[in-house]
Parts: sequence; C-alpha cells; structure tokens
Amino acid sequence: MMTIKSDIAVLGAGVNGLSTAYELCKRGKSVTLVDKGVMGAGASGSCDDMILLQSKKPGILLEMAFRSLELFKGLSTELPCDIEFETRGGTILIEDQAQLSVMEEFVASQRRSGLDVEIIGKDRLRQLQPHVSQHVIASTYSAADSQVNPMQLMKGYMLGAQAQGMRYISRAAPEEIAREGGHWLLRLSNGDSLEAGIVVNATGAYANSVCGLLGFELPIKPRKGQVLVTEQLPPLGETNVWSAQYIVSKLKPELTAASTGLAARYGLGFAFTGTHNGNYLIGSTREDAGFDKETKPDALELIAAQARRFFPVIAEAHVIRSFAGLRPSTFDGMPFLGEVPGHEGFFMAAGHEGDGIALAPITGRFIADLVCGTKPEFDTAPFRVERALKA
Amino acid sequence: MNSDDERYICRCEEVTEKEIREAVRAGARTVTEVKRWTRAGMGICQGRSCKRLVERILAEELGVSPAELEPSTVRPPIRPVSISAINMEETRERNDREEG
Repeated sequence: MMTIKSDIAVLGAGVNGLSTAYELCKRGKSVTLVDKGVMGAGASGSCDDMILLQSKKPGILLEMAFRSLELFKGLSTELPCDIEFETRGGTILIEDQAQLSVMEEFVASQRRSGLDVEIIGKDRLRQLQPHVSQHVIASTYSAADSQVNPMQLMKGYMLGAQAQGMRYISRAAPEEIAREGGHWLLRLSNGDSLEAGIVVNATGAYANSVCGLLGFELPIKPRKGQVLVTEQLPPLGETNVWSAQYIVSKLKPELTAASTGLAARYGLGFAFTGTHNGNYLIGSTREDAGFDKETKPDALELIAAQARRFFPVIAEAHVIRSFAGLRPSTFDGMPFLGEVPGHEGFFMAAGHEGDGIALAPITGRFIADLVCGTKPEFDTAPFRVERALKA
Repeated sequence: MNSDDERYICRCEEVTEKEIREAVRAGARTVTEVKRWTRAGMGICQGRSCKRLVERILAEELGVSPAELEPSTVRPPIRPVSISAINMEETRERNDREEG
C-alpha cells in the first residue's frame, strides 16, 4: 500500500486515456495512468483498424478527424513502435438507387467541407475491389481514408509515455474519489492511493461508474459491436469497405424503418478491412445490450452472410476468431471533453462511440490543452459536459 | 544473448521467446496481455500450440507456477470454420419471419 503523488491521474488505459497521458507527459507533467483491468481490454482493443473520414457528417467531428489524420502521420515516426499507419483509401458500397441518391447528397456536403471524396461507377470500383459482388451499382471513394493498428498505437503511446516518466497501474479500479485540500484523492482497489491535482476520466463505456463515485451521471451508454476475424488472406482489394446501408440508416431512418428483423435489431452494417497482418476484420453490429461482451452465434451468422453478399469470394475463407467491443455512445453523438462543473479539476474524455481510434490523437491534445490552460485547436462548446447536465 | 531467445514460440505469428519475455517485463501478467502485446496466439491455431509455452515463460518470469496465472480468454469459434459454414439456415428463416 502506498500513496502515489502526481500532477495528473488519467483513468482508463484505452486509446484516449493513453493519448491524453502521452500528451501530458510531453508537456512536462507527471502522470499516473490507472486501469481497472489492463491496457486495451475495452473498446480500444476490440475494434477494427479503420480511420474513416467518409463516415463523418460535415462539422467539427470531420474537422477533428482531418486533424487527427495529420497527427497520425507524425505519430507513425514519433512513437517508439510501428503503429502500422497506412492510407489505402475507403469505399462505401451502394446497392440501389435509393441509397445512391442519399449518398450523392452526403458526398456533396462532405466535398463542400473539403473532404476529397467522390461517387465512382462499377468499373472504377472493380479496379479497387475486383471481388465485389455484381449487384453493387456504385460506390463512394475517398483516397484519404486510412488505417492504424489500435494495439500497436496503444503500445506506442504506452512506451512513449513511460519513457517520459509516466507511471502505469493496472488492475486497480478507483473505489473512492474525493476532493481534499485542493487536490483529488483516489482510493484504488489494489490498496494504493493516488493524489493528483487533476483527474481525467477516459474510461469509455464505463465512464459513468466513475462519475458515480462523485455523485453525478452522464448519458454515456455501451453500444456493442461484434466482429469476425478471418485467417490471413492474400489482399482481396485496395480499400477499406463499408456499406451505404449503414450511413443511410443513420441519415434517413425512414428509408429503413420498415425493417424490423433480426438484422435490424442487431443494427447490422457492413465493415470490411484487410489488416496489416493479412487478417480480414468483418463487422459489425450496433446494439444496446448493456455490458454484455459475448459474441452471439446468430449475430455472427448475419455478419458472415452479409460478407458473402458483398464479397462472394470470402465464402471459403476461414474465421479464426470473433470478438465484441462496447463503444461508449452518448445521447447526441458527441464525446464529452471538458471539466465537470462543480468538480474543479475533474475532466471527462469519453464517449467517442465508433470514433475512438480515429479521434485519439486530437483528443489527447485537446484534453492536454484544457488541463494546461492553453486554448484548444477546436471549439470546446460542442463537447462540454454542461450540455448533458442541463438536459 | 542466449540462442534460445530467438526460438519461435508462436509459429503462426512468428513471435520469439525474447519478444514474449520483453512483453512480460513491460508489464504483461496474463497470456491475453502477451497476446495483445506481441500477437502470440493470434494466428490460425489461436494459441493451441503456443499457449502452454507462453504460460511457462510467463510463470518463469513472474516466479509463480503456471497454475497460479489468471486464466486466458478463449474466443469463438473453437476451431477455424469457413464463412459459408457459419451461414445457418435457421437464423435466416428467423430473420425472414421477423421481417415478414
């Protein structure tokens, strides 16, 4: 049992906690990173490798994703291990005229925001994805969509931060958090205590249980995504792949409202990406299933059937693993990044849902700016905790 | 350096004994953590050949017996299965029925 003193305690060794801890170390702060389990045991280690710009509506999240993409390029040489960052482009497959007209409008709005994206026809799509099903009538294409290995990214942040003196405590959940004499005192489940001027809550889908220790609640809920992993395969195509159906269901729910089947209940959408190692990750579901992280046979069957529909060639590939992750979703689709009113020095950095990896580099800098009292590169208003407390 | 260090422990992902020992020294306490850190056990056999070896190295580094290690997670499927084989008729029918 000991009491550890540092400037800042970061809770949660997922990608956003690590990115925040790393940025704060770079600015000369002493940082202790605490996780109730181990690094990457939550959503950050149970996701795919895509950094998609195309999936984002024009607005501040798209702008932050642009900035993150620039930062990833720097991190790929700055961090002490290979984060396997690549820019291979992305395609969103369009299956019918209804989807096409929604996507044309969406793409036009993204282009106005400066994203390099276009609608391409069957022939160009087949050059990028020779094995795509004939029923796909068109696709979007953006050369900017990229990939990074989330585990390697976390490892890079971890090693980089530890090299600058960060202390890491795993298997220790905070059990009490109290403000005493101008600083925060955290009692951990492993018997240690932590004293810090600032606390950053980056515990993803579990963020609310930490808030509960301080007596408040935020609308952050786990949203489950199930994913299949194939054996290593020769590359099937160049780009990351998504289906338009998922974006259409978000933008124009009325077009898909009639669908009430199992697939709709699982929030099925197609995501398909070949990793650096040659395994294909095939997803995914989008479910409200509490904190249950088990994969379900019927969901995996739906994902497999959907993969065959888009890429018939995949039928004979072997699935070697499946997993599920809990994305931290918020009531308005925006993460909470900021200080909690009434709890001076207690900051939130959680609620990125499916954008946690893509936005990690900018999140770390944004929080480090707030904590250090410098002006963040982006408007803080959309991310403020106040917006939920008022409601 | 001991020549044993360059031995492959995970053959599928070509992870050496040295890399596994480094992961433990970096803080890994379980087979699952070693897997995340090094990819040992993430290949086609899903750790069926290397899991016990990784446990032995872990136990040795930590100075405990393998039985004292936290049990590792096993993810479905139990063995590699083709995409076409996990497309079950029953689920499709249930889906059609619910949609219908």
